[in-house]
Amino acid sequence: MNNVKIKSKNLNVYYGEKQALFNVNLDLNEKEVTALIGPSGCGKSTFIRCINRMNDVIDICKVSGNIEIDGVEINDKNLDVVSLRERVGMVFQKPNPFPKSIYDNISYGPKIHGKGETKSELDEIVENSLKKAALWEEVKDRLDEPGTGLSGGQQQRLCIARAISVNPEVILMDEPCSALDPIATAKIEELIDELKKTYTIVIVTHSMAQAVRVSQKTGFFHLGKLIEVGKTEKIFKNPDNKMTQDYITGRFG
Amino acid sequence: MNFVLIFLITIFSLSLFFYGRSKTKSIAIEKNIKLNALPKFYGYYLVLWCSIPSLVFLLIWSLFEPVIIKSIIIETAANQGAIFNDKNEANLIYEKIKAIHLGTYFGDIDSILRESALAYAKFINLFTNSKVVLIFAIVIVSVIYSLKKINKNNKARDDVEIILKGLLFVSSLIAILTTLGIIFSLLFESIKFFSVINIFDYLFGTNWSPQRAFVRDASSITAAEFEELKDAFGFIPLIAGTTFIAFIAMLVAVPIGLFSGIYMAEYASLKIRRISKPIIEILAGIPTVVYGFFAALTVGPFFRQIGENFGLTVSSESALAAGLIMGIMIIPYVSSLSDDVINSVPQSLRDGSYAIGATKSETIKKVVIPAALPGIIGSILLAVSRAIGETMIVVMAAGLAANLTINPLESTTTITTQIVMILVGDQEFDSPKTQSAFALGLTLFIATLILNYIAQRAVKKYREKYD
Repeated sequence: MNNVKIKSKNLNVYYGEKQALFNVNLDLNEKEVTALIGPSGCGKSTFIRCINRMNDVIDICKVSGNIEIDGVEINDKNLDVVSLRERVGMVFQKPNPFPKSIYDNISYGPKIHGKGETKSELDEIVENSLKKAALWEEVKDRLDEPGTGLSGGQQQRLCIARAISVNPEVILMDEPCSALDPIATAKIEELIDELKKTYTIVIVTHSMAQAVRVSQKTGFFHLGKLIEVGKTEKIFKNPDNKMTQDYITGRFG
Repeated sequence: MNFVLIFLITIFSLSLFFYGRSKTKSIAIEKNIKLNALPKFYGYYLVLWCSIPSLVFLLIWSLFEPVIIKSIIIETAANQGAIFNDKNEANLIYEKIKAIHLGTYFGDIDSILRESALAYAKFINLFTNSKVVLIFAIVIVSVIYSLKKINKNNKARDDVEIILKGLLFVSSLIAILTTLGIIFSLLFESIKFFSVINIFDYLFGTNWSPQRAFVRDASSITAAEFEELKDAFGFIPLIAGTTFIAFIAMLVAVPIGLFSGIYMAEYASLKIRRISKPIIEILAGIPTVVYGFFAALTVGPFFRQIGENFGLTVSSESALAAGLIMGIMIIPYVSSLSDDVINSVPQSLRDGSYAIGATKSETIKKVVIPAALPGIIGSILLAVSRAIGETMIVVMAAGLAANLTINPLESTTTITTQIVMILVGDQEFDSPKTQSAFALGLTLFIATLILNYIAQRAVKKYREKYD
């Protein structure tokens, strides 16, 4: 068992009047993949958006409770969100490359954070990030072409490379394969397997099979509550909770 | 008479609607069959058949009646012994005859005129009567035809569809033909102008003083006069003035408009947005003449005052005042269009940028604006073509003298202002001075057409990217 990297305590989230998360207590381990499953609208995306404070973007969203990364409270008004997001990268459901060249898509983050002073340093970051995202071989000859011209799966790997480019500790993935075909999905899953050696990964998914394939730990959410969490094997073979059992066998959701 | 006819046709058509609807309903019940269309379609069918042929006939008749009567009357007058040398004199006599008929002619009436007036009255009567008879005949024939059709339970829905499609087509045809008509009238008058003034003298001349061509018949121009006219119609000072004022206007409108657009789209809360957006858009609703006198009476003198304090000579009609006010007028176009464009940049791009640790302003500067850039350029180009075509503000605030200058404190003039100047008051329609207005109009039209085309291309290119 690896060390705990992220720890949430009594986390509550409200969208205006509506409460989206209820007292979530969840520990996420370092250099491991944690899958979050549950029916639509159950709060799993809301939960991972708390980890990099993306909910700040939404005006009516209010977060209470604690989230610690390496023992440091991040749900704190005085925390520098920019440096938090440098440490916690995110990949979204729909690939969202910037309408820029492939090179500029990757160099965007390092430039903002002042990494890579010289052109050759930036070149190196771009190459490394693309290699880690298993995209380098496919795009190395056309780095100046627009990122939006790539296929869906390539775009998603470009977004992963973009997240890696600032050398984060945690990568959050919000249903990263839901807009992709099975072959592209398989590639991303392979990539996740590789990435977990370096990064702590949290993945939200609607596919049980995917959760089984990629994760070591699984959390099941329902109606804003964390119902059950444990080793992936256990959750899928022998869950403690009746609801979890029903969900993974496809009886609801 | 025409109004009475139209009224009668309308009333009759409407009553046919109800007749057709109930009639087909009863047929359906009587014969126990399923109708091919809803009963109301048979009503529409009758209405369209009753009204369209008769109204179209009435329209065509009204277009040709005066022409035919005129040629007949002029011929009878000639047979009576009236003498006229050309078309204009013939027209004059015809107008006299018409006036006598209406009782509004107060000159001497000789026997020729009197006889012709009587003939005129006779023909008017004949034409009116036959018009009424023919229209009734048309209505009866088409109604009988359509009643027969609906008794046979035809596919009225499809037929109504075809007729409506035709109506819509005709409407768009009218719009297109009008545009073409305007273009051709510009073109023909311009050709007349360019037959007197060399097109290169016009395009590259640096002196604009059309009053030199005052009351001069284009067809009988002497060599000496031609030499004098040659350099009176130089286009350069006008296009220079126009671009200069538009440039000043854009200096004002682009930054303010763009920044307020960015503020509205990215920073303003829903509440602020809801209040301030309509207020900015009010600027677009102010009549330009109001901007014009604001520029001429308030801003111009204000600049002159300031200039005096610094020891500068500022004309009270200056390019600066006109450009500034025009810029203010254009702000809402830029701000509201760029606001829309920025809003349509997908939120996912912003999220992607925030998620990597970019601040809001970095995201706007490096992701949102570049993504929206083609649309923003499009909105700016639309604003430029608005600025170039703007007339009232410049007429009132920028002056009339065609100075070739780049000093914003001097007075200057624009294409549109000169068109107004040339066409205000009594005109000789075949003087080169008047015709030059058409040439200016044509040039302006082509310039704005090109700008609009580029702008639309830019906006379209932007749309394709995200749809």
